[in-house]
Order: sequence, then structure tokens, then C-alpha cells
Amino acid sequence: MHNSESDTFSQTNKREEFCDSLEKIGVGAEVKQIDTDEVEKGDYYSKHFTNTPAMVTNHGCVKLRGSNIDIVQIIQKG
Amino acid sequence: MSEDLNSQPWGAQDRFQAHFIVKTGGQIFDAEFLAKTKLKTKGHFATKKVAGIVWVGGNIAETLNSDSDLTNMMVKLPYKDAQIWIEPTRNGIRIHGSWKSSYEFGISKELFAVYDKVASHVKRALGSPPV
Repeated sequence: MHNSESDTFSQTNKREEFCDSLEKIGVGAEVKQIDTDEVEKGDYYSKHFTNTPAMVTNHGCVKLRGSNIDIVQIIQKG
Repeated sequence: MSEDLNSQPWGAQDRFQAHFIVKTGGQIFDAEFLAKTKLKTKGHFATKKVAGIVWVGGNIAETLNSDSDLTNMMVKLPYKDAQIWIEPTRNGIRIHGSWKSSYEFGISKELFAVYDKVASHVKRALGSPPV
């Protein structure tokens, strides 16, 4: 039996997906190894806003080049 | 065995956020870098559009309100993308939007330009020259 789906697929994580979407719009970006940046160590929210989630999952960071933003961190709720 | 009618959801949900961080080099800031957008809208449901934007919060909110270019860029964004928060944390000032599903999660050129402009004001307020 044949179908159009490939037998193999490349598994990408969220930060790689986000890095690709940044590169598509012309922003220089580079995926960082998870848990290697200082921003992943501390609190992710100031907790001043009522919509702060109780629990989050860190998906790592993407470093930007030539931008006012130093780094992008990907976070999942729960 | 009875069904639990008030079951609590747990575990990772299909909700993602990208935090655009300006690093502060260990300096801790508080209310001065705390801000969020308050939107004026027109239309309802799928046709809901942004008509005006006011930043509310600390000193950074006043700076952002005085930038008419930023306001013009933001009124062109979809309603969901125009909701932006700025939060100071121990390792940096975080600029982020609302939660998005994995299907919606991504970034447009226009949205990135808004985040970059907000970050330039944050950098200037921190005493660093913007890029």
C-alpha cells in the first residue's frame, strides 16, 4: 500500500521552529542549547500581573543578532 | 464508579509564549519597567480591530505613549498581537504577548518590528544605546 507521506520525518523543537520563523522574516537568530542561559534560571514573570501562570515549561532560548532584543525564551503553560 | 465532574487540567497545555528579553546584567528593576497595553477597539468577534492603544504602568509606559510611530505600528496589528506586557525580572526586562496555541505560535515582520521598537525604548531607559 502506498501513500504520499514520507517514511521519515525531522523532529524539531519549539525553539528551532521559532528560530526558523524569525529567519524567514529576515532576523538573524541562532538556537541555544537548553538550560545554558542565565534568563532560564530565575523567575520568568514579575508576578505583578494577575494572569501570571502558576506553572510553566521552559523550551529554551533563541539568541538574536542585530536587534535591541538580546534573547527570546520560549515558554509553555503548565 | 462516579465520574469526576470537576476534573482539574494538569500537565503542559497547548499554550505558548515567546518572551523577548533585554538583559540588564544583574541589575534589578521594579515598577518603573512594568507596563501593559490597554486597547481601544472597534467591531466585534472576527472583525474586532484595534483603534487606539494606551500603555499603562510605570515610567516606561509614559515613554511608550509618547512614541507616535510605535502607536501607528501597533494599531495595524491584529487584536490578539496588540496585547503586550512588559515585566522586569531578575535577569532582564521581558516583553511578551498573550498565550497562543501551537498552530498560531510564530512571529510576523510587523509584530517583531513592534517588539524591537519597545525593546529600543527599554534599552534607552536602561542607559544603553539602542541598535
